[in-house]
Amino acid sequence: MSTAIEPCDPVEFARLKRRLERERAARLEVEAISEKGLRELYMREQELRLLQDIATSANLSQSVGDVFQFALTRICDFMAWPIGHVFLVEEHDGSVHLRSMALWHTQDPQKIAPFRAMTEARDLAPGEGLPGKVYLTGSAAWVADVVADATFPRKNAADESGIQAACAFPILVGQQTVAVVEFYTDHIVERDEAFMQLVPQVATHLGRAIERQRAEDRLIHDASHDPLTGLPNRALFLDRLNQSIAHMGRNAGSQFAVLFIDLDRFKIVNDSLGHLAGDNLIIQVSDRLKGALRHGEAAVGLTIDMPSSSTLARLGGDEFTILLTDIDDPSDAVRVAKRVEEALNLPFAIDGQEVYTSASIGIASSASGYETADAILRDADLAMYRAKALGKARCELFDQKMHQEAMKRLALETDLRRALQNDEFVLHYQPIVALNTNEIVGFEALVRWQKPDGELVFPGDFIEIMEETGLIVFLGRWVLEEACRTAQALQGQFPRDEPLSISVNVSPRQFAQPDLITQIRAVIAETGIDPRCLRLEITESVTIGDHERVAAVLTELKELGIRLSIDDFGTGYSSLSYLHSLPLDVLKIDRSFIAAMNQSPESFQIVQTIMSLARNLGMDVIAEGAEVLGQVEQLQSMGCGFGQGYYFSKPIDLVGLRSLLMRSILPTDGQDGSQTGHERQHGLLDGLATLKAG
Amino acid sequence: MKGIVFNVLEEVVVANHGEATWDDLLDAAGSNGVYTSLGSYADDQMTRLVKAASDALGLTATDVLRWFGRQAIPRFAERYPVFFTSYTSTRPFVQALNTIIHPEVRKLYTGAHCPHFDFQETDDGALLIGYKSPRKLCALAHGFIEGTADHYHEHVEVEHLKCMDQGDERCLMRMALH
Repeated sequence: MSTAIEPCDPVEFARLKRRLERERAARLEVEAISEKGLRELYMREQELRLLQDIATSANLSQSVGDVFQFALTRICDFMAWPIGHVFLVEEHDGSVHLRSMALWHTQDPQKIAPFRAMTEARDLAPGEGLPGKVYLTGSAAWVADVVADATFPRKNAADESGIQAACAFPILVGQQTVAVVEFYTDHIVERDEAFMQLVPQVATHLGRAIERQRAEDRLIHDASHDPLTGLPNRALFLDRLNQSIAHMGRNAGSQFAVLFIDLDRFKIVNDSLGHLAGDNLIIQVSDRLKGALRHGEAAVGLTIDMPSSSTLARLGGDEFTILLTDIDDPSDAVRVAKRVEEALNLPFAIDGQEVYTSASIGIASSASGYETADAILRDADLAMYRAKALGKARCELFDQKMHQEAMKRLALETDLRRALQNDEFVLHYQPIVALNTNEIVGFEALVRWQKPDGELVFPGDFIEIMEETGLIVFLGRWVLEEACRTAQALQGQFPRDEPLSISVNVSPRQFAQPDLITQIRAVIAETGIDPRCLRLEITESVTIGDHERVAAVLTELKELGIRLSIDDFGTGYSSLSYLHSLPLDVLKIDRSFIAAMNQSPESFQIVQTIMSLARNLGMDVIAEGAEVLGQVEQLQSMGCGFGQGYYFSKPIDLVGLRSLLMRSILPTDGQDGSQTGHERQHGLLDGLATLKAG
Repeated sequence: MKGIVFNVLEEVVVANHGEATWDDLLDAAGSNGVYTSLGSYADDQMTRLVKAASDALGLTATDVLRWFGRQAIPRFAERYPVFFTSYTSTRPFVQALNTIIHPEVRKLYTGAHCPHFDFQETDDGALLIGYKSPRKLCALAHGFIEGTADHYHEHVEVEHLKCMDQGDERCLMRMALH
């Protein structure tokens, strides 16, 4: 091996040169391979970072708008494209179009102003333009040069804004395209396959953000809306009402009003046709109310620059409310109420039947000055109750008097609860007399409230509120026990061939209790009364409703040996034939017929008809409210079996009852006349004596 | 500075003046001449090579850089055609330097220090190009612009209104195409 520089052999030189060139070529290839690898690695890293950033944003951002804004910027950054924009897919009346979300990423807003203006001004139909095509195909698309694309609708604006290349991709939720994202740049760019392969993953993250937002919206909507009608529920209504109150606090001029709407007769529909029919009615009513509000607002005649708006809500059951805002005067609310009444005038078709309903409407206006939503709603509710009390199918404006009455009622309710706890109730008894023998055959137990101050309150002043509050259930149970106990004791003291009967009223609420039979069995067992002596009196209203249950309960009571009376007959709406399908024993003709009997031939006729019908149906008849001799004689002549009324005795307490029974079993001897004179002031003995004398 | 610039310089010198000249330049600059496109090399190696070339060719350093820039473009276009095919003329190509071309360069060579240009259009349709870099290679930029104009078969005039070499804070070139 030589170390000195030798003159070069040309062949050797050429070989060395080739060798050098090979080495250089190899170096360049290594560089190229490495560069390609580095570039790919870099790209992969960037892609992963992009996906990660968008996923993070989709998971953490507060709103879909934020997520998209971030994604637009991030993707533009990634592609080094200056413009990004989002279209939302919207559906109206079955037709779909793409509407600009007015969400852009742009580096030079001024430059793209024409393009932006045109994009936001007009919706695109499916298939129209690049986003339309993306919507139709459900896949990403790329246009190297939109200016050269005759099918691009925004071509001119794009040209004016210096836009050339475009790409767009769909955002899917499930199989459905819900948005289209588009990107633009200012020079021609051929389709970037790497980016297009990345697009579905980006779209998935964005789709999830929309999906989550939709789920949230749905939850919020469901939490604030009534599922049956889709109307706002109580919570949302109160929220809007609070807003109105706050708004009024800031703007003294603006007024609002609350309409509280309660359907009349809804319970009857529900009970007689079933809950599905009831739901159906509620839905139809809500539709009519919506219609009435559209017209109602027009009726109020508010102009465009002073629009009135309304919120219709369903509070539950058959209760609806309307909040009217920006009204001039409470009379505007009354006009809307009239519209509501009119809207309910025509019958509703429910399961092929025509059903009528009406509404009782209470109005409370902000003019009364309210600080809480609860207060105004409460007053509208009170006004509604007044409308119901005044005959239903009408509207009432709240006034302070109603509030005072409500307070009185509330106080009464409290007193009654206390009265129950303190055993302040007592029973009085009114004899029932056999009209052919003038003998007392039994008693009706009647409840009285003996207040601590000594005042005796009659049921007319408290039964209704007890029924409404449900307190009647406790009172009823007590009455039944007390009456049975008394009857059992009296039967021991005054034995008869036919034992004295005891009649006890059962209220609708009591009757509706699922464990009614169990309770009655318990009372019979506890008091030891012979069930055959017990008569339960129900009114016609008890028998309306679930006929099958009513019949079943009554049959079971019959099987216990209890006798059943229909009370106040003639005041309800039930037909005698309907009643006949129930196992009833006794019919009590309402006092109003007896009172009118001798005043007109028609009334007399009615009583006679009722009696002959009852006889044909094998029912006993008791005439209530027999007050004077003439009535008793008439009833006797008609063959009426039994009578009850002041002519014989007003309701008396147990002491009075005992002495009355004592007297009635005393032998009719010489003392009788003097006794009659002595006791003349007592209606009962007076009556009995007269009968006996006659 | 990225090795690719040295590689292209070598190619340009060899193509125009022969391999021996490149060897001489390396010797004069005290460089071992080991440059690969994957590596980065001290900026002053380029400065010394330019100085050596200026001495050898009897040109100013500015002229060497400008000549090199112009000659380099066809070789870049050969290696990286995609940068050039996206445009049809010099002006959008130049204006895309910051936003498109340099980001692409960074994808190839992570950590590349690409200069930032600012652009301003003049009333007569010329483009003002601002340049500020500690390397002060405005002459190279000038040559690149001329090479790009050659590529798109355009005629360009570049005028240095301000120059860091003249003590200005930044360079400002006026580019007019004909």
